[in-house]
Amino acid sequence: MKYLVLIIGLFFLSFSAQAQNTVKGSVVDENNQLIPGVSVLEKNTSNGVQTDFDGNFSIKVDENAILVFSYLGFKSQEIIVGDQKTIKVKLTQDVAQLDEIVVIGYGAVGRDKIATSIATVTGEEINKVVASNPAEALQGRAAGVQVLSNGGAPGAAPRIVIRGITSPNGTQPLIVLDGVMLPASTSINFINPQDIQTMQILKDAAASAIYGSRASNGVVLITTKRGKEGKPTISLDATFGMQNIQKFKSAGAQEYINVMNARRINDGNTPDPNLAGFTGEGTDWWNEVVEDLAPVTNVNLRASGGSENIKYSASVGVFDQRSNLQIGFFQKINTRFNVDFKISDKLQLKQDVSVRLQNSENTPNILFNTLRVDPVTPVFVNQSERIGRNEFSIYGFSRNLVPNPVGQLARTFNEDNFNEFFTNTQLNYKINSDLTFSSQLGLTFSGWRRKNFNPEFELGPTQLRDINSVNDRIDQNFDYVFNNTLTFEKTIKDKHYVNFLAGALVDSQSTNFIRGEREGIPSNTNVDLRQLNGAEGEAQFVTGNQGTDNILSGVFRGIYSFDNKYIVNGSVRVDQSSRFPKDSRTGVFSSASFSWDVDSEDFFESEYINNLRFKVGFGEVGNQDISRDGQFFSVGSGDFVFGQERVIANFLGRFGNPNLRWETVRDQNFGVEMGFLNNTITFSAEYYKRTSKDLLFNVESPNFTGIPGLVAQNVGSFDSSGFDLQLGYNNQWGDFSLGLNLTASTNESRASELAPGNEQILGGRSAVLGNRFLKITELGRTVGLFYGFKTDGIFQNQTELNSHTSEDGTIIQPNAQPGDLRYVDTDGNGTINDDDLQVIGNPFADIIGGLTVNMEYKKFDLSMQLYGTAGNDVFNFNRQYINSGTQNLNVVAGALDRVWSPTNTGAEFPRLSEVDLNGNYQRPSDLFVEDGSYLRLRNLQIGYNFDFKGIKKFRLYVSGQNLLTFTKYTGFDPEVASGNNVINNFGLDFSRNPVARTFLLGLNLTL
Amino acid sequence: MKKSIIFLIIYTTMFTVSCDTDKFLDQPLQGRQQLDDFFSTSSSAETFVNGIYQLVNGTNWNQVNFQRQINEMASDDNWAGNTRQPRPDITGIAQYNVFPGSTYFNLFWENHYIGITRANISLDRIPEVDIEEEKKQQFIAEAKFLRAFFYFDLVRNFGGVPIVTTYNEILEPSINDKVRSSVPEVYTFIEKDLLEAIDDLPLKSEQNSSESGRVTKGAAQSLLAKVYLFEEKWGLAQTMAFNVMQSGEYSLEPDFADIYSVDNVDGVESIFEIQYINNPAFPNIGGQFSITNGSRGDRGWGWASPTSDLENAFLSENDVIRLRSTIIKHGEPVFGDDTVTSFNGLPEENKSGRTNRKYYVPTDKRPEPYQRGQIPLHYIHLRLADVILIHAEAAYFNNDEPAAKSSLKLIRDRVQLPSNNALTGDALRDAIWKERRLELALEQHRLYDIRRQKINGVPRIALILGPEGSFVKYNTEVSTDPFETTNLLEPQNSGTLFDPNIHLLWPIPPEEIQLSRGKIEQNPEY
Repeated sequence: MKYLVLIIGLFFLSFSAQAQNTVKGSVVDENNQLIPGVSVLEKNTSNGVQTDFDGNFSIKVDENAILVFSYLGFKSQEIIVGDQKTIKVKLTQDVAQLDEIVVIGYGAVGRDKIATSIATVTGEEINKVVASNPAEALQGRAAGVQVLSNGGAPGAAPRIVIRGITSPNGTQPLIVLDGVMLPASTSINFINPQDIQTMQILKDAAASAIYGSRASNGVVLITTKRGKEGKPTISLDATFGMQNIQKFKSAGAQEYINVMNARRINDGNTPDPNLAGFTGEGTDWWNEVVEDLAPVTNVNLRASGGSENIKYSASVGVFDQRSNLQIGFFQKINTRFNVDFKISDKLQLKQDVSVRLQNSENTPNILFNTLRVDPVTPVFVNQSERIGRNEFSIYGFSRNLVPNPVGQLARTFNEDNFNEFFTNTQLNYKINSDLTFSSQLGLTFSGWRRKNFNPEFELGPTQLRDINSVNDRIDQNFDYVFNNTLTFEKTIKDKHYVNFLAGALVDSQSTNFIRGEREGIPSNTNVDLRQLNGAEGEAQFVTGNQGTDNILSGVFRGIYSFDNKYIVNGSVRVDQSSRFPKDSRTGVFSSASFSWDVDSEDFFESEYINNLRFKVGFGEVGNQDISRDGQFFSVGSGDFVFGQERVIANFLGRFGNPNLRWETVRDQNFGVEMGFLNNTITFSAEYYKRTSKDLLFNVESPNFTGIPGLVAQNVGSFDSSGFDLQLGYNNQWGDFSLGLNLTASTNESRASELAPGNEQILGGRSAVLGNRFLKITELGRTVGLFYGFKTDGIFQNQTELNSHTSEDGTIIQPNAQPGDLRYVDTDGNGTINDDDLQVIGNPFADIIGGLTVNMEYKKFDLSMQLYGTAGNDVFNFNRQYINSGTQNLNVVAGALDRVWSPTNTGAEFPRLSEVDLNGNYQRPSDLFVEDGSYLRLRNLQIGYNFDFKGIKKFRLYVSGQNLLTFTKYTGFDPEVASGNNVINNFGLDFSRNPVARTFLLGLNLTL
Repeated sequence: MKKSIIFLIIYTTMFTVSCDTDKFLDQPLQGRQQLDDFFSTSSSAETFVNGIYQLVNGTNWNQVNFQRQINEMASDDNWAGNTRQPRPDITGIAQYNVFPGSTYFNLFWENHYIGITRANISLDRIPEVDIEEEKKQQFIAEAKFLRAFFYFDLVRNFGGVPIVTTYNEILEPSINDKVRSSVPEVYTFIEKDLLEAIDDLPLKSEQNSSESGRVTKGAAQSLLAKVYLFEEKWGLAQTMAFNVMQSGEYSLEPDFADIYSVDNVDGVESIFEIQYINNPAFPNIGGQFSITNGSRGDRGWGWASPTSDLENAFLSENDVIRLRSTIIKHGEPVFGDDTVTSFNGLPEENKSGRTNRKYYVPTDKRPEPYQRGQIPLHYIHLRLADVILIHAEAAYFNNDEPAAKSSLKLIRDRVQLPSNNALTGDALRDAIWKERRLELALEQHRLYDIRRQKINGVPRIALILGPEGSFVKYNTEVSTDPFETTNLLEPQNSGTLFDPNIHLLWPIPPEEIQLSRGKIEQNPEY
């Protein structure tokens, strides 16, 4: 058949030879990079060529010929040849087409064949943000994908939450790298953003059910860049920047002293004599601890290319980030080498190798102490007092016993080395034109060493270490996946497309560690002696353990499409997991989805709408993310003394749950996709509803049970629902092009069922707020709400106090004085007690949105990204002390103006008091809850493309991150108020390192 | 095509056969024994019972010991002391500005119940362990003694508490519905455990040296005598105390100073003590009190400083021997430590400049490094003098004044104080109570004693503390103590806020109320 066309073509070619011209030219993309392999076809003929390795072509055409240039992922372009002899063509990317091939797990199909909810973010978009990790770049780009900052310390990995909280335990999505499922704890931080071709987020269970037991929090599929046929391309991308964090305005010494004395005087006590006569403003700890600028450097080098039979892509990335404290850095080297071999027409081999070396020093979480330490303490003790002290003991011992943060930094010696070797081998064998067998083996070896040294020092009775010590921990991990699948793909009679997949999968993750600690390194300062065998002290401590998690699975999937109009997808996965007791270890997860492409229907005719598609999906996924030992009752061991000798003491160490079962999430997704004016405007909207049942959670039992620690339990069901909206606009006017992408999403997760004994899930206990739980999850309400006492302003005078009574006239707060908080006696029993606890805030936003703007004008380009949340509350824990000076802690500058006094009756915060008989600062209340809505300019980038001969691309840019934040929130940063456990910690702000403001200079160079 | 399919079949078969799926999916617990397997060895009964003992004083300073010190601070014997670090959960409670959410209440409550559950597991499983019957009965009796000990501590601090009697109870979901039992119910349970334990425990003289520190029959009898005293079962208390006194197993230390001497572990007077040793390899088998209680000028934390009111009580009896072994004072030499001629009580950071001598380790006996969890000074829960004074008090209320007086005399003779044989009635009662204060001062008895001792139905604590309390009046109106009246960072009127309608019990930790969904109810007025 092919030959016949060729022969006929040749025939026509020779027949019309006289009237022909030769046209030469080249094809480039929007970045002026030459594109090889572009099809150049004379319209309405079979006369065609392809551009060569350099993107050049030469074709003989008729006089009135029209040339059609087309290439996958770009909009086709037609050019009337006329009398032109050379033609330079610039192809622009076709957003609709770019998505054409979508990775869907154990395979890839055309976008038009899927009926599920999958969001795609390209590597190019990711790298616009110049983020140190790809997760940051996802923020605001895909609707329904929320990225929660874990603070601004170097190397801190954000958390990704897809469509809200369906599971109280571990909300990180599963990450699948080129088909390899990574361990549950894997942060998306590990990958070099420059290696990413695309990231696909499987949002609904219809899409993710194929990943079964590990998919309940969504799945992120990462596809790395691979080589293309053509001449080698070498590119260099580099950025250099400076980071800056905002300093808090703490009180100086005089204001601090005034507050301390006011607290005593208000209680009828004398001023503190130890503070009398202090002159000056004392120590500005923020200046001592925080450095204004910290450098961040990122350099990437990539080479790719290949022939028909061997294609390669190799890259090296170096990243180096310093913290804004004297201590703390994060360095990373990523290398990746992806090769594709075409062994025969039937056999294809892909071999990827990647190595990661990471070296870091943990940034001490020291801002909390910097906030609290008193300003009357000097950084160092006087020269005269230093005699007989070692170099770690010359720091001032603070009056309020908060550790001297400068001294803490000086004593911080930690080293963290992580090395990982990853290899991914995939063999594809085409049994015949329809049937492909695929076998994939992914192996990951990693080693992690953490070492620290604690020097001997003495500042005072509670801040000392009599003997120095060295700690060394080594972890080794070995993970593998072994996937074998058979895929049948066929289009029958042009209209029926079928794609069936069956597979058998093995997933195994093992870890082991050994840790040792010894005391008595002979020198406090000789760095070379800080090894375990350098220690001479008697105390020795060694521990170690190992663990393995295994999953065996079978997967089946079918895709059927009729005439590209009606698409049906269905899948079933059967998993057996070692995390569960034998009787409950098997889980079956299935899904079905359907999509209707209305614009392909004959009856559909519209001038404006070029794409209209409806889809609906149902699916079920699971979660096994609970402690490996969750099912076991285990015996711990310790020590006791009889007869003046140490004896072994055994006890119940962990209370197991032999009835643990899978957590499953049922999910429904309804969506519509639209494109207007040839996709100038795109719109998509989805509504989803997810019900998770048998939720796995580590539950705290009442203490009288004597159960040690937490117990893994299946606690009940959560319902989560919301909308994901996306609106895009892309247009071009001459030299000016504009792209806008607006995303918005809503989500609410409610507890729809809670098992007996778990009617309330409590979390976030705070010792200073009376060991009360700050978070509650109750039946029928949003999960993880703030919990505490309601207040109703401040008592202005005795009359108000006396009239705050219950119905029978009991004075509700007999210990209160004017200036104290008025608590609401919600149960009306005449006293404020545990029965009055109420929900006092909601940490989850009503709406989360992002806006991305891309503009180009001639050689300039500008991109901008905004991100924001609205309607969420933050529990600002720092209000406990920064306005009260409790426990002699330092206060915020201007605190005296913020607190109530007879002359400042309009104040927001209650009166100062050391005794605090009313408990204003000893229990959780809405005094600590603030509006945490914010809008942040995440990224602004301006670039310019230079033309240099022989260089494909030379672009310089400047970029700023987190330049502007609009918020009413009074703490450090509303964005850091997340935490490790989304139910228990989310929205609680304990002053972690805030997100830094970054200024960058960057270069993109392609040869 | 055919070849490919054959290859596929072989490939898949190999893969399936090479993998034993059950073995692959059974991932056993690593590095830990499982409870159901644990009791199959004969040593298990002993080591598991050892685990219950860990909770008597806790394995860390804050688990139970520090609340015991806070209790001392909340009496007239001690100030909070440390004025450098005013804390609502320590200083506040010492002043009766009670912070129910204190971590120390919380930990005290929680750890006692962890101990009770360890005892319950022992009682559930030890009967199946293959060891000789006599040993089995002994370990069961030890577990019962310890369970009673924990409940006694709980009932004295919190009042009626939930009673968990078996391990199986906590395996049932209905455990979450448990409510507080009444005070008499808790005492009934304690008595039962102790009576059963007494029968199966060995005498101290029957123990070999490696067993010293395990509970004995005498310990169970002494604790039961004390339980009866707290229940005001005077006759039973007198008899039970007398059993111990007559057993011939214990005698008073001839020298009072030897009771708390580092060199006198498990002395002749000691009935139940926690032994502490220094072994850097095991960081939590040494004592804590020397550090938490020690002066801030002497590498301590400076909590719980003796009051001048207590010192005056010794002076009023001319009780030199016990005073010098009870209180160390700033600027004075330390009795029994020749190297210290002028003690640094750091009065600018300490309310009274005084320190507890009983937990003090003389400089040349200190281990290096000198740190928490490493101090080899034993801690005594029950000693003969306590039992003799229980006997005296019970006999007095049992209308057996001669017996009361003879016991009182035993105690006074040792410290060379004269006895007034003419004492009778209230005067005798007051003399017994005062003797109890002086003899057992700073040994964590005082708060419980003044809560339970009543004059005309009024607890003594209500006469000592509160706005009109004798201790408060002394400090605010009489005292001229150079340290206490100078350092006002801890106010002189500490104790004014005491309210007898509230403060005879501590609050139930709010955490427990929340975790039990309100089924565990708060004590009145908290």
